[in-house]
Amino acid sequence: MKRRTWTGLAFCSPLILGLLAFTVLPVIASFWFSLCNYPILDSPRYVGAANYVEMAHDDRFWHSVQNTFVFVLASVPLGMIVGLGLALLMNQRVPGIKVFRTLFFLPTVVPLVANSVLWIRMLDPESGLINSFLRFLHLPEGWMPGWLSDEHWAMPGLILMSLWGAGGGAILYLAALQDVPSELFEAAELDGAGPVQRFKNVTIPLISPVLLFTGVMGLIGGFQEFGRAFVMTSGGPWDATLFYCLHLFNSAFTEFRLGYASAMAWVLFAVILLSTIIVMRASQKHVQYEQ
Amino acid sequence: MRKRPLRIPGFLALVVLAALFSLPFVWQVSTSLKTEDQVGKSEMDLIPRAQMLTLNGSTVEVKPIERKGNEQVVEILSGPQKGAKVSVSPSGLKLKPHLEWSNYSEGFKAFPFFLMLRNTLVICVLTVFGTALSCSLAAYGLACVQWKGREVLFWTMLATMMLPGQVTMIPLFQTFKSLGWINTILPLVVPAFCGNAFFIFMLRQFYRTIPSSLMEAARIDGASDLRIWATVVLPLSKAALAVVAVFSFIGAWNDFLGPLLYLMDDDKYTLAIGLARLQGQYSSDWGRMMAMSVVMTLPLIVLFFLAQRTFIEGIKIGGVKG
Repeated sequence: MKRRTWTGLAFCSPLILGLLAFTVLPVIASFWFSLCNYPILDSPRYVGAANYVEMAHDDRFWHSVQNTFVFVLASVPLGMIVGLGLALLMNQRVPGIKVFRTLFFLPTVVPLVANSVLWIRMLDPESGLINSFLRFLHLPEGWMPGWLSDEHWAMPGLILMSLWGAGGGAILYLAALQDVPSELFEAAELDGAGPVQRFKNVTIPLISPVLLFTGVMGLIGGFQEFGRAFVMTSGGPWDATLFYCLHLFNSAFTEFRLGYASAMAWVLFAVILLSTIIVMRASQKHVQYEQ
Repeated sequence: MRKRPLRIPGFLALVVLAALFSLPFVWQVSTSLKTEDQVGKSEMDLIPRAQMLTLNGSTVEVKPIERKGNEQVVEILSGPQKGAKVSVSPSGLKLKPHLEWSNYSEGFKAFPFFLMLRNTLVICVLTVFGTALSCSLAAYGLACVQWKGREVLFWTMLATMMLPGQVTMIPLFQTFKSLGWINTILPLVVPAFCGNAFFIFMLRQFYRTIPSSLMEAARIDGASDLRIWATVVLPLSKAALAVVAVFSFIGAWNDFLGPLLYLMDDDKYTLAIGLARLQGQYSSDWGRMMAMSVVMTLPLIVLFFLAQRTFIEGIKIGGVKG
């Protein structure tokens, strides 16, 4: 028996080493840094909760919190609705279903930077595809959104861009829909349930675990939104797209305030943990797992 | 669920949406082949075109420069009179379909493309190899070997999946700095050799389904655990390892934050960083930028078509069991 312990440890030794070196120790260090004043070239000096207190009084911090919540609360539900819509449409007897599935999924494969370059162009107020299309529809020139150059339109622009990736969720919903036994629908139909009722009372409950999963993953990813804004807007214009993690990155690597940035990271972790728990709790009654 | 019978409105909606979702790709490729002059135009036009002028019987490509009264001054871009400026009447100019391939050739020259491609591929290959190796070893240890403490390890590993990378980012940066690893690929590839919680979880689930009689038989024949792992478990888990390989390759190819933090010199950059830098410097030359974004996207699209089933499997595993 003893020998098996050594065997197990040996097989898992890279994992154990990695967990210690790249997770456990950095987590402890990070918590310590968050209680310190730590300019990058100096050594950390303990300041208690000062970083956390400063955060509460930092207008840009709150602004970044607000931006991030707006992004998450808009992009996650919209992405799920679009994804579900696509999945329902694909769940018909359609010729060339594989082609459709591929077309909707491909945008999720595009690398972040290439995607950002593409969408800076897409959202160009003058010659971008979106405004060109709006002009094609003869919308008055005064209605043209300025997208990334306009502080009120930059965030909607990024949310629109995120919807292009809704096909990733659609693949999952489609897989779940195809697992739903057809007898359930036939039974509901016999009981006189219309299409809306069948959707509400049969389809949604049966794929609810997948909906919950994509919702939670979307939430976690959304709170960590960084690259898009970094490449496309640098947080501008006027901080309109200053996401939480962009502010965190800037605090650490342009202002070199490692203590403050570490404290921000811990607040982020708390927010992610808390919102995940809230969503799980709130959905408990509505999500149905197979028996 | 039995698929619902096809209804025409539903099918039409699907076609319209599919067109809408492919439009950015079509436009990306089309813009990458447009002349600088056409890229700046606000009309929606998916076909790349160039201004052409018929001069002495031959058609040459021209670039409009300025208007003088009723005349248009253009620069000749092709043919023997290349570089010359001539004044012509606007009616003599015609827009004709034209593919501006020079966006690609110029784009490759605008930054050390092939060097960055090599850098990216080195990181990708090492990441894929390290991830597949360490994850399958750890998964074997967690699924096929009975030992005290493996449950604790497994649950600790799962718990770390909840932790956002931002928490460990700063201490790791400081650690790598004190090790002298900044501006090397080590911070990007060494962690890959220490496993990835998600892939280990996936492989463990898979290894548990392998009949233990197979492993017992090998053990009775005197095979060591390492041998059983290599000759029994690995060959049976090719499909699952393919998922690990494909997704870790994509992760490394697309990684932006890692190279941004740890690579400092132009000649060490990956494509993601190179393209982002190019975007900052040449943001006006859009044909070229689009050409490079096409080049960066293309390998992943090819990979997707080569390994479509692996992709879909991986996504389903991630979605249903994750």
